[in-house]
Amino acid sequence: MREAIFTVLSRVRALFRRATADADFDQEVETHLAMAEEEHRRRGLSADDARRQARLELGGIAQLREAARETRALPGVECLWLDTRLGVRMLRKSWGLTLVAGLAMAVTIGLGASIFTIWRAFAGTDLPLDEGDRIVAIQPVDRASQRVYRSTTVPDFKRWRDTVKSVENVSAMRTIEPIVIARDAAPGRVPAAEMTASAFQLARVPPVLGRPLIEQDEREGAEPVVVIGYDLWRSGFSSDTHVLGQRIQVGDTHRTIVGVMPESFRFPMNQRLWLPLRTDAAGDGSRQPEDVFVFARLVPGAALERASAEVAALGLLPRDVAATPRLEPRVVPYAMGIFPEVPTSNWISGIIFLVGALLLVPPCANIAILVYARTVTRREEFATRSALGASRGRIVMQLFVEVFVLAIGTGIVALVFARQLSGRLSRIVMPTSNPDSLAFWLDFTPSFATVACVLGFCVLAAAIAGAVPAFHATGRWRRSGMLGSQYRDTGARLGMTWTALLATQVALSLAILPSALEMTWGIFRPAIMGPKLPVNEFLTASLAIEGNASRFATLQSEALRQLASTPGISGVTASAAVLLEESSERVEVEGVDRSETDARLNSVDRSYFDVFGARFLAGRGFEPRDFGDATGTSVIVNRTFVDEVVGEGSPLGRRVRSVSRDESGRIATSAPWYEIVGVVEDFPANNDGPTMYRPMARATHFVSLTIRAPSGAGLAATRLRAIAAALDPNLRAGRIRSLAEIYWQRRSVEHTFGALLGTIVAMVLLFSVAGVYTLMAFIVAQRRREIGVRSALGAEPRRLLVGIFGRATIPLLIGAIVGCALAIAINEALPITMAGGQRIPGVVPVSAALLIFVGVLAVAGPARRAIRVNPTEALRLS
Amino acid sequence: MVEPRSSILQGTLDLMVLKTLEQMGPLHGYGIARRIEQVGQQALIVNQGTIYLCLVRLLQKRWISAKWGTSDNNRKAKFYAITKAGRAQLKAETENWERVSGVIGRVLGAETGS
Repeated sequence: MREAIFTVLSRVRALFRRATADADFDQEVETHLAMAEEEHRRRGLSADDARRQARLELGGIAQLREAARETRALPGVECLWLDTRLGVRMLRKSWGLTLVAGLAMAVTIGLGASIFTIWRAFAGTDLPLDEGDRIVAIQPVDRASQRVYRSTTVPDFKRWRDTVKSVENVSAMRTIEPIVIARDAAPGRVPAAEMTASAFQLARVPPVLGRPLIEQDEREGAEPVVVIGYDLWRSGFSSDTHVLGQRIQVGDTHRTIVGVMPESFRFPMNQRLWLPLRTDAAGDGSRQPEDVFVFARLVPGAALERASAEVAALGLLPRDVAATPRLEPRVVPYAMGIFPEVPTSNWISGIIFLVGALLLVPPCANIAILVYARTVTRREEFATRSALGASRGRIVMQLFVEVFVLAIGTGIVALVFARQLSGRLSRIVMPTSNPDSLAFWLDFTPSFATVACVLGFCVLAAAIAGAVPAFHATGRWRRSGMLGSQYRDTGARLGMTWTALLATQVALSLAILPSALEMTWGIFRPAIMGPKLPVNEFLTASLAIEGNASRFATLQSEALRQLASTPGISGVTASAAVLLEESSERVEVEGVDRSETDARLNSVDRSYFDVFGARFLAGRGFEPRDFGDATGTSVIVNRTFVDEVVGEGSPLGRRVRSVSRDESGRIATSAPWYEIVGVVEDFPANNDGPTMYRPMARATHFVSLTIRAPSGAGLAATRLRAIAAALDPNLRAGRIRSLAEIYWQRRSVEHTFGALLGTIVAMVLLFSVAGVYTLMAFIVAQRRREIGVRSALGAEPRRLLVGIFGRATIPLLIGAIVGCALAIAINEALPITMAGGQRIPGVVPVSAALLIFVGVLAVAGPARRAIRVNPTEALRLS
Repeated sequence: MVEPRSSILQGTLDLMVLKTLEQMGPLHGYGIARRIEQVGQQALIVNQGTIYLCLVRLLQKRWISAKWGTSDNNRKAKFYAITKAGRAQLKAETENWERVSGVIGRVLGAETGS
């Protein structure tokens, strides 16, 4: 066994010192021959005879060197090495193919690897904390529907904390994003957590300065304290080591800093600030908004199942069970508790691999067409190899390795792509309000499993794009003979299968191109055209009252009045939600078939449209009478709503209502009808879809404010805070953000998606071009002799070109016609605008023209080559 | 390309090379080949080239070690020496060979006698 291991090691080492080993061997042989020659001469042979005899005794030197190499090397590796070098040489030679195929494979494998990386990151349950795998979440789950409720009530938390034996450090938390005003930094939102002190014991991470939160901090009447994160310490207090005891404003409360946590500490999700959670005040029994996320650490020796059984046996308090009788608590790994919607079964990795593999098929099939054409043109090379004893399998293997070399190169690029883009892509899947708010344990570094997955993709890509065409080509040659009598005939045609594939590819490219163009345009149009709204001028904020809300309406009006009269502020408006953060509802228009759609919905005051400078296209704005009734019956819709939902005819006077359907699909709503009284231009100019505005009923404790301050949003923020503080100590102004921030944050996620889509469109186009180019170049190469003869006989270039390419263009034309028909059907069937696209008038003819244009470009090169064929040279070569 | 010999022959050559190195101390490839021919009294025809393949195999198994040096007639030559593992292997192989050859001898003797 030891010898076998030593042998393998020695052979592996020999891979890296081939040249030295060869030189050593040659030196040894030379010495051997010289010694033998000397001895034979001593025995009386002549110099020539001595040399001959010495060589005879040693045997064939070339064979001996080859045998020694084989003995030294790993079996098969020499062949593989040779094929790899050949592959690299071919990639350099056919750089066009390398570029097209490399790009396609890099994007597709990168996408597959990213999906895999994202899933691995989200499904991973091991937190980067001491014994992080033993931290668990306790949460209610609906037995029947398996719906998971992340949070539970404070009484349940207290009960579990006091009674469950298989877990310790049972903790609770709520995440918040208060405006924080630190000594050395501008006010801003900071992701924070109200958390029980036990959570710090659970995390087992000591602070870098001061102390963590302790139980006394949670008691009523305790001094308001805070533990800050490393980032906030650095930016807000310039890393001041005397920060302990200093004050920081969190929301409306001044708090004393008692500790600074290390940079890596982002517990419980991605927080930078920790406040004590007051469970006594929150424990008043109502479910919203006091619910908390409960988590704990398994006691040593306890298993997850035991804890889960114990908690399930304890159940939920009767109040919850009465509300949702099928609820029962469960214990799951912490990460799973935060992302309950992420499936974690092992077979998911198989499914993801399959999805990635399916993604690979179309581009690899395209590459296969190109590789096939090139393989046919290399027939003589393979005939020579075959004559030298290479089997069909060996030739197929060579072509497989050629593509595999490229696939491995692109696989490396794909891993980098996955590393860099997984975080961004994951935000398409799980949009978050804060770009930095991805959970702290998510690690997008490609793991061993990801590398194995990418390797699998590479093998698959090489099999489809390299081995299949090679197998097909060598099969044809086997039937017709490598250099058989039919060589000219079979060589001159690409083969029906591959020509048909090419035509299909043109058809499919054209079929999806219009829709893809509209989607890409829809996503990038706002970035290119701009929001058509000076988003930097707008400041958004929330205004809320704590405690007695009876005066809220009066205070709100007064705050708005004072703000509006502030110099530098040109308008103030109140609404239920901030622009671009409206909620969505299912709505239908009376008398319009299939009008049911998702629309954004906002409740606004009278000045809303004036503040944004929104232009009315029809009807009127809201008037005082619209606000008379508590619910109101008027509604204003935007242009997209009219275009996509109402359709033909005047929208004014039409009625709209919210709908909800039960499980059987029947409408289960009695929402009142609203009458459309006005149509307003989309604002900002974006593709956010149909939007409805209702008159805002009298707010009871919370509104969103939008302030237009052309001279600067900073002033407006200060003024708002001052006004709120002066009017009532319980009146709070929060979530102060610029509209630009909200706008571009929303766009950045869409841009990632758009860039991906744009790349795919570009790839589809590139493949069409490459396919057409290959076909034409192939025909010119194969018919060189014929072109030479016809040219020598004085054929006109135009007639020559028609003669050469005429027949080849027929399948392409058929492909284009079928593609156009498919494109129209697909484009009409797809809900492009609903998915964020933007209709482009005449997109199908434009796409066809685009494809024809690139097709002509692709033909231009081979056509020029055909016309320039030198008759004498062509005839001589043949 | 050298055709691979039968495993018995190959094993035998390995054994002879190890024995030669044990008896003679460090030797170069030519020296080993000549020694085996001398001991075999020309009855054993050895393709000298195969000695080098055998040496590569023995080196891989770490039964012998190799070092560049200078021969008696002042030539650069690679000298091979048996290692501790090589000696152990030689001992085991020699015992095995004696046992097997004894059995074969008895079998062949019995056949002749019948």
